[in-house]
Order: sequence, then structure tokens, then C-alpha cells
Amino acid sequence: MNPILSVEGVTAGYGRVTVLHDISLEAGRFGNVGLFGPNGHGKTTLLRAISGLLQPKSGRIRFDGQDIVGHSARAIVGAGLIHVPQGNRLFPDLSIADCMALGAYSPRARPHEAENREKVIKLFPKLAERWRQRVRTLSGGERQMVSIGTALMSHPRLLILDEPTLGLAPKIKDELCASVMDISRGGVPLIVVEQDIEFLLELTQQLYLVNHGAVATEIKPGESLDHGEIMSMYFGH
Amino acid sequence: MSALAEILFGGLFQGSLYAMMAVGLALVWTTIGVFNFSHGVFMMLGAYIAWQLVELGLPAAVAFPVAVVVMAGVGWILQASVVRPLIGRPNIVLVVVITTLAAGSLIENGALTIWGPRSKQIPALIAGNTTIGGVGVSLHQIAIIVITPLILAALWMFLNRTRLGLALRAVAQNEDASHLVGLNVTALYGLAFAIAASLAGLAGIFMGGYRFMSPVMGSDPLLKALIVVVFGGISSISGPIFAAYLIGFFEAACSYYFGLYWTPALLFGVLILTLMVRPEGIFASRSRGLA
Ligand SMILES: Nc1ncnc2c1ncn2[C@@H]1O[C@H](COP(=O)(O)OP(=O)(O)O)[C@@H](O)[C@H]1O
Ligand SMILES: [Mg+2]
Repeated sequence: MNPILSVEGVTAGYGRVTVLHDISLEAGRFGNVGLFGPNGHGKTTLLRAISGLLQPKSGRIRFDGQDIVGHSARAIVGAGLIHVPQGNRLFPDLSIADCMALGAYSPRARPHEAENREKVIKLFPKLAERWRQRVRTLSGGERQMVSIGTALMSHPRLLILDEPTLGLAPKIKDELCASVMDISRGGVPLIVVEQDIEFLLELTQQLYLVNHGAVATEIKPGESLDHGEIMSMYFGH
Repeated sequence: MSALAEILFGGLFQGSLYAMMAVGLALVWTTIGVFNFSHGVFMMLGAYIAWQLVELGLPAAVAFPVAVVVMAGVGWILQASVVRPLIGRPNIVLVVVITTLAAGSLIENGALTIWGPRSKQIPALIAGNTTIGGVGVSLHQIAIIVITPLILAALWMFLNRTRLGLALRAVAQNEDASHLVGLNVTALYGLAFAIAASLAGLAGIFMGGYRFMSPVMGSDPLLKALIVVVFGGISSISGPIFAAYLIGFFEAACSYYFGLYWTPALLFGVLILTLMVRPEGIFASRSRGLA
């Protein structure tokens, strides 16, 4: 199977600071992809470059074979590459209903609006109870559900999640992990950045350790590692 | 009785003009996070364009809407030229104060060159006068009092009941997240400016119908709109609308009881006191956003 997304030699950063150094990776060849690694080493920056929020200085990013570097974030969303950003800041004064309507804003997603709304409500029944409530009044877990729900409304062909369980209480986190597994079983390929390695091992088939803005190690299917080995890679040397 | 009628009428009238101006300023602030200091110039330009069209022989009923539409284009162009290129800069708020002031003064001088310093007047919306509650008022002013809330209500409906309005409210709250649901953020910024400029242009047409116009006619209304927006809270558009009428009534009452001379001092006194007690404005919520 061809990779649905490939990142080829991307260098990117903020102003004069370079964060990503010639990073390359692929997604979709073996299933879901997990990214992990220490904080501040460029995982979020990579995702921002993929979804068009940040212009890479060089390199190629192919989605479904087409180079999307230089495309607007809107065009990339329009193609079905959907990114749930870190930290679920969302739209604090909009209601859940408004967020879902926004999720279905792109012409590609609009015909599927009703069908996707049902899916989201089935996945996160809690959201239906709070449908007219403002996002700012929701708990952290609920906000993350709204983030993911909004992304599902965009009818993703590839879904990118940046630390979806960050800062959630253990019980809520488990529920959310189960929902993400459900999404994957529903046939949407995922790229997930997570600190929780157990969750990544369960969810993904291919792992990349991102260190200093480049891929330090790639773990392909079959090369299954145990938690200890990964932890020693994580903390290095 | 006539005192009450005079204050009520004066307040409604001034409040309408302030609301018309302030709401555009607030719309631009909430969506883009900048203050547009050419907003007063938009008002002037709207009035002059309407005047020019009437001079060319168009009936007011055609000239006025055309002027408002032209102003939408002017707002869009101004946004694209002196605001959009600066978006993303850390000091954008201050830089845009300078660029919009500069653009405004350029347009003002342009207007002076094209139309000259001689004051002009455009036709009233409705000619004639009447008496209400013992107070003589012009039909033009009554038309403004009636039309303004309708336009503000339409704007509210647009923002709160349409998909495009929802997109504008979303951009006001989180630009990155707006990109990530596929909104055309640049176009929405342009739209916010276009709407604001149209409303300012219409306010100019209102004003040019009862007062002489000059190229600097927009500077005092801009100042008032800034006061209204700061007083009402810069986080929404409903705050400034209420504040506009509140200030309108306050001014009407002050000038009735204390005279025009004392009104600005009293207004600023109340404003400063209010902001000491509620720095975020009287009707504000905590965040930026259109509600
Ligand atoms: N908006 C920004 N401006 C400047 N530097 C940034 C910005 N966002 C992140 N960085 C820097 O880029 C580096 C990588 O950050 P990030 O991609 O968020 O890492 P991760 O997601 O792996 O924790 C960090 O050193 C961080 O300080
Ligand atoms: Mg991160």
C-alpha cells in the first residue's frame, strides 16, 4: 500500500530558529502511526507544517501522492487531511453545535454533515447532552471530545491527533483512548502524537521517535518492542 | 414632559449614530484583533461618495445604497493593503494603529483635493419636520432612529444565524482552529472590514443629511466610537451597541441639564470611573469574540 502521507526532508521552524531538520517519515503504509519523543523537539511543529499552518523552509509533503507544501490550510482540509491541535483551545464562546457546524464547513464535508453528526454523537453521547453549551464551560475531557468531534465532522481521510490525552484524569483518558480506537476501527487512518507509550503501542502499527527535529528511530510492525526498550530509547543512550 | 421627550429623542438619535460607528470598530477588533483608525475616514468617504453620486444626478434611493456598497470595497482594499500584510506580527496592534492612521490621513487629504474644503450637504433620508411630545424634530432624524436598530438587528442575525456569520465569530476566537476547519481566514478578515466600512459609510450618509460635511467630519465620531467600544467592552458587538445608546442618553441628559460645554468633561469623568471599577468595560465578557 502506498503511504497516504509522506514527509520528505522537511526543514521548518519559527523565524530564524530551525526546529525540524530534514525530517522524513511516512504514514498509512502499515496502519496508524505514532509519534513520540521528549517535549519541545518538534512534534507539534511537524504537524503544523503538515496541515499548512506553518510554511516549511524546504522539503516535500505529499498527501495522497500530491505535494501539498505551499497549499493553504483550507485546501489541505478540503483534501481531507484533518488536524486536531494540541491543547483543545477551540472556540471558547461557541456552542458544541456551532463547533460541529464549523467542522462541516468545507464543501467536501458538507454533504456528510448529518451522517457525521450521528457518528460523533454515538461516539461521544456526552456532547449531545451539552449541545448548546459554550465550549468554555466544558471540562478538559469534554473539550477534547469537541475537538475530535469537530475533526470528524470534517470527514477526514487522515486524522492527526496532537497529544489528545494531555492533562486528562486517568479515567477520562481511558474513555478517550477507547473512543480513538473506535475511530480507527471505523476506517480512518491516524497519526497520533502521545506521551503515553502504552496507548500508542495498542493503537498504532508504526512508531517514530522524534528527537531534535528529526526521526531518531523508526519502529516498523513486527519489530515489536516492549515498554522498557522504548523508555530507554526515550531517555537515550 | 418636553424635557423627557427631548432627552429621549436626543439620546436615541445620538446613540444610533454612535452604535452604527462603534459596531464596525468592534467587529474589526473582535475578528482581527486590531483597531482601525481609518474608521472615521470611512464615514467621511461614504458621505462624500453619496454626495458625488447625487451630484451626478442619481436619485438618493440609488446613490445611498451604491455608496454603501462602494464603501464595502474600500474597506476590503484597505484591509488587504495595510492590515493583511502585517498579520502574525507580534506588535500588530500598534503597527496597525499607525498604518490605518496613515491610510486615513492619505484618504482625508485625497478627499480634500478632490472635493475641496467647502462644506457640502446631502439630501435627508426623508425631508421635513414634525413635532413629538412638544419637541420639534426632523423626519431625517426619526428615520435614523428607526433604521439603525433594524440594521443592527440584521447584523446580529447575520452573525448568529448564518453559517458565514458563524465563521466570522469563529475567526474572532481562534485563528489557528479556524484554519484547521478550513475557513478562508483572509477572506473573513476582508469581510469584517467590508462590513465595518459599509456601516461607517452609512453613518456618514446619515450625518451628511443633517449637518455640513467636511473632510475631517469623521474624526470626532471615530473618537466617540472608540469611547463607546472601550466603555461597552471590546469583546463583543452587543456591548458597544448598548453602550452607544447609554452614552447617547447620558450626553442628551447632560447637555439638557448642564449644557453642551460640560458634557464631554462629564462623559469622560463617568468613563474613567467606570473603567476603574470594571476595566474590561461594562457589558464585557472575559474574552474576545462576537456575541
Ligand atoms: N510559535 C512558536 N514560536 C517560536 N518557537 C516555537 C513556537 N512553537 C514552538 N516553538 C519551539 O519549537 C520547538 C519545538 O516545539 P514543539 O514542536 O511544540 O515540540 P513538541 O510538540 O515536540 O513538544 C520548541 O523549542 C519550542 O520552543
Ligand atoms: Mg507538542
